[in-house]
Amino acid sequence: MISIGWKRAAWILTVCLILFLGGCTSKKAETVVPGKFTVGFDQEFPPMGFIGEDGEFTGFDLDLAAEAARRLDLELQLQPIKWDSKDMELSAGNIDCIWNGFTINGLEDKYTWTEPYMANRQVFVVNSDSGIDSPADLKGKTVAVQVDSSAETALKDNPDLTDSFQDVITASDYNSALMDLKAGGVDAVAMDEVVADYRMEQEKNQFAVLKEKLTKEEYGVGFRLGNAALRDKVQNALEDMAKDGSLKTISEKWFGKDITVIGK
Amino acid sequence: MEWTMILTKLGEGMLVSIEIFAWTLLLSLPLGLLVAFGRMSGNVFLRGFVKFYISVMRGTPLMLQLMVFYYGPFLLFHVSLPGGYRFIAVLIGFLFNYAAYFAEIDRSGMESIPKGQYEAAAILGYSKAQAFRKIILPQMVRRTLPAVTNEMITLVKDTSLAQVISVSEMFLAASAIAAKEASMLPLFAAGIFYYVFNYLVALSMEWAERKLSYYR
Repeated sequence: MISIGWKRAAWILTVCLILFLGGCTSKKAETVVPGKFTVGFDQEFPPMGFIGEDGEFTGFDLDLAAEAARRLDLELQLQPIKWDSKDMELSAGNIDCIWNGFTINGLEDKYTWTEPYMANRQVFVVNSDSGIDSPADLKGKTVAVQVDSSAETALKDNPDLTDSFQDVITASDYNSALMDLKAGGVDAVAMDEVVADYRMEQEKNQFAVLKEKLTKEEYGVGFRLGNAALRDKVQNALEDMAKDGSLKTISEKWFGKDITVIGK
Repeated sequence: MEWTMILTKLGEGMLVSIEIFAWTLLLSLPLGLLVAFGRMSGNVFLRGFVKFYISVMRGTPLMLQLMVFYYGPFLLFHVSLPGGYRFIAVLIGFLFNYAAYFAEIDRSGMESIPKGQYEAAAILGYSKAQAFRKIILPQMVRRTLPAVTNEMITLVKDTSLAQVISVSEMFLAASAIAAKEASMLPLFAAGIFYYVFNYLVALSMEWAERKLSYYR
């Protein structure tokens, strides 16, 4: 019978206690780390959240989050996450919110949301020389989406359209999906217009966006269901930013115009 | 992005990958030996338990194991995960996974040593522990070195799996840069980093094998 030793037992007990107490305090505190606003985002989603030229995380959503954190007197903590683990990260208490081109439509009951701050559309991206002009031309073709994205949901909600496709495949990130498109492995990618526009800027003449959009939807900041306290604070910060024009400034910096919808 | 910045970011990711590699090796090699003893134990319950452990660890994807170790405490006990647990979960997952593989390698090494060695040791008056330390272990190390090298090389590449719980190792860094640059080039650069790392590992292990082959 191996004796575990008092020192080791005490150490194990301490670790368990810390984990347990960590759990207790987190439930009562407003942010998962007191004094910090931990924002979860997909770091492969330019221009909303990505690694900038200077090697630091940057993006339209991250700029908004930074400004909101400043107004709430909290230190901004950026936590990159895997998009398909976002629910786990949120419920496990690793992040306070998901702020990353997060579509509200269809998920209204799953999270505690702010008011929409931006409109977006899910669109089809095709190669500019493909001859595909409308979703009807996608009959018998292969379409890619990011796993657990609102494009994936939109396609599922549109069985008439989706059934005409040869196949719908999921990719872990947009870069791979668009690479697949370029290489001819898929015929179209269903994705956020905002990201598609960024990509087209980078690679002029390679891609085209179909005129007929898949869905119209809105972006919001998603908090853990029930965390109304923090949501309200961030909501107020966003409204203040809309009132004093800083929201407009950030939007113009990234998109050349004010595309925000708060306070309008 | 300037290529210097890309290399810097990949380098930072590489450091994390190296950290995972080093910690895993340091901890799972001894643990693997212990598990091998358990696997060869006379006690039927211990042996059965260890066989089950090895079978689960080798039989399920490491990616899944990492997610279980990371989200498990929250899902099972509703304990909020403290910051910094991400990396610990990675180490735990890699440790238990690789210990299972090393255990089987060690067992094959020990069982391939002729019974005559044990008998000679007993006759010469070595205790079981002394015989193991001075006679069996050195031979076992020599026999298992190629298989261990295999596992080490696999480990270098497996570090990329840590990205499923968003640990910023090199592959994730390369992926994020690739998304920003709208190009696959950073991923190929990451491939070169991995190759160089593995080349150094293989080179060192070859040197070790040569140093230990004093009978050939």
